[in-house]
Amino acid sequence: MSPKKQKEAIYTRHGSSRLAELAKALAEIMNPEGKAEVMDDLLILDASYANFAGIIAASLFAEFGAEVIKIEPPEGDPARFMTPFGVHVKGTGIPFIMEARNKRYMTLDLKNNNQDRAIFDKLSRKAAVVIETFPPGDMDAWGIGYRQLSEKNPSLVYIAITPYGQYTEQARKFSRMPDADITSQAGSGLPAQMGDVADKGEPYNWPLRAGMWAGWYISGLSATLGATVALFHRQNTGKGQMVDVATMDAYSSMVGIPASIGCTWGKARPRIGVLDFILYPYGHWKCKDGYVAIAAPRDHDFRALLKILKLWEIEDDWRYSSDRIPDILEQATHLHKLIEKETVKYTADELVGMALNYSKKSARSKWRGGGVPIVMRLMTPETAMENKQWHVRKTFQEFHDDALGKFTISANFVKMSESPPRVKWVSCEIGKDNEYVRDKYIKE
Amino acid sequence: MEDYFSYAEKLFAPAEANQKPEALKGIRVLDFSHVIFGPVAARILADYGAEVIKLELPFFGDLWRPATYWGKYWKHSNPIWHNITKNKYFLSVNLKLEKSKELIYKMAETADVVIENFAPGTAEAWKIGYTQISKINPRIIFLSCSTYGQYGPMRFFPGWDLLAQAASGVLSLNGYPDTDKFYKLPDYLGDFVPGNFGALSIMMALYYRKKTGKGQYIDLAQSEALMRLLFNYTYHSVTGGAIGRTGNVDPTMVPAAIFKTADEKHVALACTTHEQFKSLLSAMGKENLLEDDRFTNNFERLKPENAKFLNDIVADWIKNKTCAEIIEIAVIASFPAAEVVDDYMICHDKWRRARGSVVLFKDDMYGELVIAGPSAQLSGTPSRTKWLARPLGYHNRIVLKKFLGMSEEEIRSLEKKKVIGTFDDRPGLKPPVYYNLDEDTICNYGKEVCK
Repeated sequence: MSPKKQKEAIYTRHGSSRLAELAKALAEIMNPEGKAEVMDDLLILDASYANFAGIIAASLFAEFGAEVIKIEPPEGDPARFMTPFGVHVKGTGIPFIMEARNKRYMTLDLKNNNQDRAIFDKLSRKAAVVIETFPPGDMDAWGIGYRQLSEKNPSLVYIAITPYGQYTEQARKFSRMPDADITSQAGSGLPAQMGDVADKGEPYNWPLRAGMWAGWYISGLSATLGATVALFHRQNTGKGQMVDVATMDAYSSMVGIPASIGCTWGKARPRIGVLDFILYPYGHWKCKDGYVAIAAPRDHDFRALLKILKLWEIEDDWRYSSDRIPDILEQATHLHKLIEKETVKYTADELVGMALNYSKKSARSKWRGGGVPIVMRLMTPETAMENKQWHVRKTFQEFHDDALGKFTISANFVKMSESPPRVKWVSCEIGKDNEYVRDKYIKE
Repeated sequence: MEDYFSYAEKLFAPAEANQKPEALKGIRVLDFSHVIFGPVAARILADYGAEVIKLELPFFGDLWRPATYWGKYWKHSNPIWHNITKNKYFLSVNLKLEKSKELIYKMAETADVVIENFAPGTAEAWKIGYTQISKINPRIIFLSCSTYGQYGPMRFFPGWDLLAQAASGVLSLNGYPDTDKFYKLPDYLGDFVPGNFGALSIMMALYYRKKTGKGQYIDLAQSEALMRLLFNYTYHSVTGGAIGRTGNVDPTMVPAAIFKTADEKHVALACTTHEQFKSLLSAMGKENLLEDDRFTNNFERLKPENAKFLNDIVADWIKNKTCAEIIEIAVIASFPAAEVVDDYMICHDKWRRARGSVVLFKDDMYGELVIAGPSAQLSGTPSRTKWLARPLGYHNRIVLKKFLGMSEEEIRSLEKKKVIGTFDDRPGLKPPVYYNLDEDTICNYGKEVCK
């Protein structure tokens, strides 16, 4: 076998012929082409400004077929200029291109122009959803807040995204403070749980930012989810409502763990580096040609891992999961190193193969105790794109846009048999649909 | 006109949230899922009023019931498990028996949603997959959750949140450049975020069903859900390079990082617009930098060497100020800044309690526990907590009797044949020791209970 074939053989597993048929049929069924779109009868106005949480919320609606009009001032939303290392395509940053899916682009200066506000007001009567991220109270003062719009359009769902929300004294006090991803992460408790143990020196023992827009993506997703529940209620009763997202809740409300731990422990958790509070082994290890992720936390999984790595002689010391949890850090770190000593002897593919072979035999053997140690090559985003699994599932989509050239985005994040989300176009020039919107929604 | 904030306070009125209508009232969900990914999707539906029946194996229960931080239990339960599975009905049936399948098929007749996260192929093999359930109820919305999806060459690979983080590349991004210091996203975020995507796709399917009457099958891979959150792929396709790890610096804005203050706290500070950048510079007394060609233009400023220069200046400024001082300046000068908060602060922050994003909940069985509120507050149909997690099989009787209309004799015979069951003595599965289940009217639904 050629090296490529060998690799493919490791990362392919076959089920029974019935299941193989089923998977083949499924791939056909899940093809979004020609399928219905859930929200094709809804108009959504995205007036978010310098805030990707709003843009992301709008994108998710657009992927499910809604007509989304992105409203920005004539000089463009500052979100266009947020981009890694300043890399841009003709003046538009990478994140904005990635989220520019299926939207219409219209210029209105809501901050400064009364006439533009009147146009927005007119548009909003036909809209199902409005999204905005201005300081709380600003839209209201301009006469186009939820209070005013809902009078003329009682079925309107109005999403507001700000750091501290629309009510409470805190919201009032911090009303002029704008939003950013890193402050959302910090203020909702994510960095406090990431980073190295206390004695590893600065800055490694500092709280660490997630290397992605965790705050903004969680807030955007929460906004769309909340608003879709509101739209379902609207479908049943005709009533609209306001959806208020505080980005300082993003992480803490998503996982819920910090609040309950703070209550039952009466103190904060320390940072424990690469270890996990509950499961061990559950993390990544060095190997000959990179890193592997290993998850073998249940006792029988762990025994299997020890056999695979030829470490059976240490089994006695680490038999139960209560022996392996890192409540005594030195002890857990010691075990971590014992495992690393073995993993560096093999390549990632070898380790993956060894674990799979063991699991396959173990499933059929009463002597091996059914352990399923999971070992997988650690990917970077760049190598993940090349995985055949995602080609088959069409996870990444390449676009040729006249203005933006050629690029790839991650799309099709969920497969649905009747009404799947999809990306149809990505063009996003400022004001490109001014006429379209005027003809379709404003002219009477 | 009434002041905006008091108008909004009245609109949301968190203290009266429980009296407002529920958006998903009358929606019935069968939750076959376990651990976090599937249960969270079902929990969100339950928070908005759906009737979620969670199925578990007698005596074993959900794998996650006993899995607690550092092995510390709270009243013989897992403190983090409450937030993952609150508001559900806990039914314990032995799936291995033919009789249990009949029970499930009967429940499927009136259910609207099924959620499962077995290894792909398992639900089909056990004859509780979409093929079978949709024959009984064609309007069913069936969500299958997995790490790699239900088709494709890697579909049979087992997975957890960690493996989805590894497969999407997220795991390699959290840490410091040019070192081997990097970390997985904490607290199983790779399960919670996809779980929310699962709830979103179910809501979309419910919306579609209301319009057309059609149910559908949903295949959600948690790796793909995480991929939706990254623009690294787009960056790679445009530049051929990689963003990689950037430590505590956000490379998309400048300045944007986590800094250390004079009082040994950590604060995140960022400028998202040129306006904010200008007001930060004047707060620092460094307006002269605006005349420097390197910093006049947004894209120019973001170049690594220029960004580093600016972040270093900000770090120097912050290290001589306390965290409270920085926040105060940020409020006045209007740029984003926030202290890095930990578990204890989140639990005790007054504004979170006032907002309802952290809630002190009084439970009939467990007493007081602080739990997280929703990430999005709805003014008309807010999410709410009705009860915390319950011992294994706690709702057996109420589900069979009230929802399925079974008689006392039928339930007794199911108990005798061990089709339904309850907990053994492990913490996480059993009730708190002080709690007398015999006196509980819900657990003993339909029986005489003397207190």
